[in-house]
Amino acid sequence: MNIVIIGLGGIGSILCERIARYIKYSGDPGAKILLVDGDSYEPKNYERQDFTRMGNKAEVKAADMKMQFSSLDVGSFPSFVNETNTGHIIKEGSIVFMCVDNHPTRRLVSYYCKQLNDIILISGGNELTDGNVQIYVRKSGVDITPDLCSYHPEIETPDDKHPEEMTCEELAISEPQLYFTNLTVATFMCQAFYNVVIKQQCEKSEIYFDMLQMAARAQTRIVKSK
Amino acid sequence: MAQYKRETLEGKTVRDLRQLVVKLGIVGYTKKPKDVIIDAIMAKHGVAGSISTAAMVSDSGLSGVEATFQSSITKPDLAKRDRLSTTIQVSCGASTGRFPVTGRSVAEVGEFLREVLNVDKLSSGLINGKEVPADYILKAGDNLEFLKPAGKKG
Repeated sequence: MNIVIIGLGGIGSILCERIARYIKYSGDPGAKILLVDGDSYEPKNYERQDFTRMGNKAEVKAADMKMQFSSLDVGSFPSFVNETNTGHIIKEGSIVFMCVDNHPTRRLVSYYCKQLNDIILISGGNELTDGNVQIYVRKSGVDITPDLCSYHPEIETPDDKHPEEMTCEELAISEPQLYFTNLTVATFMCQAFYNVVIKQQCEKSEIYFDMLQMAARAQTRIVKSK
Repeated sequence: MAQYKRETLEGKTVRDLRQLVVKLGIVGYTKKPKDVIIDAIMAKHGVAGSISTAAMVSDSGLSGVEATFQSSITKPDLAKRDRLSTTIQVSCGASTGRFPVTGRSVAEVGEFLREVLNVDKLSSGLINGKEVPADYILKAGDNLEFLKPAGKKG
């Protein structure tokens, strides 16, 4: 099992340890986990993100996980995903968790996965108190569920920037987020992983939740024909 | 083809409506209650009008679950099966509920349920998973979803 976790902020820093624990004790102990992020942990991240020291997020979390789950093969890729490196990060048959904070990266990865034959892409995102998880499954060159852009024009045509296009000032500005919302997205991504990868069920391809309503709903979507 | 407004149909007697469905070639409705007959006519020959029940729900600021209940108790004379047949499942994000919106356009429903279901102004509507124009008239058995934008942050 080749697992890639892109983005190790509020969602990814929680998710990676849950996935690693499951893989080590219940799943495939020979699995490889690659952590990907070009950003660094700073003191302001303590409010929502799990880490033990300052430094590049991918490298810090990989070191944390090697210590916690010693037998697991955990690697780090300390860069943002871009058009040049996507092919080095995502391989045929990978299981990709995308926990990023921008739509350009979601679009880039979704487009790349659409060129592969077999891929599972689980992408999560949130606003302050609500969020969603999308599940894109492609088998033998055929979309089993819709890609991330199909029902989301805001991902297809993003109004935000890729982190490599942002200035230092723009990167320093972060909109308020809630730890519990990040935690809920991570939990639903784990649920998606269990259903799609372990139980081989992928009828539902999107999950929405709203913490203020204390509600969640899973949606089946039709793959659009070209 | 003749087209009817809900308000016009609601002003007719049950006997008149039964004659009308026969005239319009809509089979299987001559022994149904008035509301069901009206829904059937609206589904095939309806034009958009005002939404009295949905507007009431929206103005009252009720949640989806409360709104569904409200729509049911406005028709206490109908059997549960018939009440359900006149409502349509409408969803947006995590919010979902059944609403008496048969015969209304997607655009109207989006406007009137905006606050109840937190529908984004730019959301497009899917009927049974397929995109439809905003002037699509809802009919019995439809399942309407307004697309909610994906969360951006993480």
